[in-house]
Amino acid sequence: MSHLGNRLSALVDGELDGAERDRAHAHLAGCEQCRAEAAELRALKQKLRALTTRAPAEAAMTSRLIAMTGPGGPQPPRRRLLHGISGNGVPRSAGRGSLRPAMPRPRRARRRRALMIGAVSLVVGLGTAAFTAGGGGEAAPGPRITPQVELYGIEHAITTGGLPNISPSAGPPALPGPAAHATNP
Amino acid sequence: MSAFSSPVSRRRDGRGALLLAAVLAVALPGFPVAACSAPGGQAARSAQQAQGRGQQEATTQGRRQSSQRAVRLLTEAAQAAVLTSYQGEEIVSRWGTGTQPTVLVSEIWHVSGGQTVTQTLQADASSSGQPYRSADNDAQTPEGVLGVTAPLVNLLKQNYVLAYGGAGSVYNRKAQVVEALRGDGSLAARFWLDNATKLPLEREVFDRAAHPIGEDEFINVAVFGRASVSAPVGGVAVPPGPWTNPLPPVQLLALRSQGWLVRPALPDDLSLFTGAQATTSSGMVLDLGYSDGLSVISLFEQHGNLPARLAGWQQTTVDGKIIYVTEPGQRSMTWSSKGMVYTLITDAPTQTVAAVVGTLPHDAPPGFLGRMSRGLARLASWVNPFR
Repeated sequence: MSHLGNRLSALVDGELDGAERDRAHAHLAGCEQCRAEAAELRALKQKLRALTTRAPAEAAMTSRLIAMTGPGGPQPPRRRLLHGISGNGVPRSAGRGSLRPAMPRPRRARRRRALMIGAVSLVVGLGTAAFTAGGGGEAAPGPRITPQVELYGIEHAITTGGLPNISPSAGPPALPGPAAHATNP
Repeated sequence: MSAFSSPVSRRRDGRGALLLAAVLAVALPGFPVAACSAPGGQAARSAQQAQGRGQQEATTQGRRQSSQRAVRLLTEAAQAAVLTSYQGEEIVSRWGTGTQPTVLVSEIWHVSGGQTVTQTLQADASSSGQPYRSADNDAQTPEGVLGVTAPLVNLLKQNYVLAYGGAGSVYNRKAQVVEALRGDGSLAARFWLDNATKLPLEREVFDRAAHPIGEDEFINVAVFGRASVSAPVGGVAVPPGPWTNPLPPVQLLALRSQGWLVRPALPDDLSLFTGAQATTSSGMVLDLGYSDGLSVISLFEQHGNLPARLAGWQQTTVDGKIIYVTEPGQRSMTWSSKGMVYTLITDAPTQTVAAVVGTLPHDAPPGFLGRMSRGLARLASWVNPFR
């Protein structure tokens, strides 16, 4: 048994005449496979039709938006809000046709701003780090010396003929004993 | 021309004076006598002036004799501290920045012409640890008692007016009193010298405001015969320290060519009078002794820098300079500048110490640009992979 083939899509599209359409319907009545294919084609066709019916509304919205921006193309949002729209919503520049293309301008500004912020952050961070690292004592060359106060104190005592005015350090505890021949004058 | 300047007016003035004299003669009967005896009054004044000059000369001569006696007594005391063998306890009290003095008590043994052994028995509350002893084995520069040594007596003569203060006593020992006066007449120090041995028994030191800043006493003194002692008392030989024999100022000043900072004098009449060098594990140390005869400042110098942290030292500011001190009385202080570590040990008045600290080298604060520059250099060194 031969199936409908290409005539099936023509049947779905309503392109067959009376005799051909009757024969196609008779075949569909006895052929389950062609019936299923016909059902799929109809469903697909309905979906496509549905798409084509929504498209005009979106196209209308797009055209309205384009009309709002004028012939120079869309403006940056801030500029459009503040300067590009007049009181009645009509773009001021619609009749002039002299606005330059504005898209590259915010990109450059953003790039400049980003570069500036980065540079400032780098300088501030580096300065803070340098100021912090520059604190403390001078890393002068030479050995690190801890004054030997005990040694110095004894020398000071010998110089003055007095007593070492330092904190006593550990030393030999043995004392010279008092002389046995000590006499008071 | 006014009437008062004319000759007529002058004659009229002369008549007025005669009239005034007559009135005074009536009112004051003694007036003519006193007026007529004017030449006699001049003679009396001349006599009084002569008498005043005589008294002044006598006073000057008396001061000169008093000063000579005081110098003689102090010189004998310095010699006695060397030539006499003695033993006793020395109590040293120092008033620093606080109201409570720092007190040190030491036992001292001295052999005639030789060794002095000192052992600290009691220290102030901030001190701790075992006692130690010091010794001066150099008979040429013996350690004295209470700061009475020959070099210091010489400086005392140069910077103060010495005067004999009469007789006194210290702990039942009869003594002669010697006073050291400043140029303005204020009392700077007073010494009590033992009558029998001339050994110093007590010394008081005052600042310009007459506040005591030091009091030293030598008590429980026992004196030994010179001939009977030929060895160190107690037979103990104290090993010599690392310091060289004292160097004269000329030799010390010559060390400037080797990179040492040696100044011939410091503020408040402090003169370089002695010094020494020592070889330590951390390098050569130079000691410079400055004094005006009463106060002594020992300035120690060593090539290098202070470490980042100094255990046992506290940072403070003296005369606007940041230094480190070991105790509240600020008798020991240290800092480093341009590759040299300076350490001061002194018994001088606080004002003198501040002036000395201020005149010695200090590193200036780096400032903002200096600190930034140093910080950048450090950062660069940290990230340098080839370092």
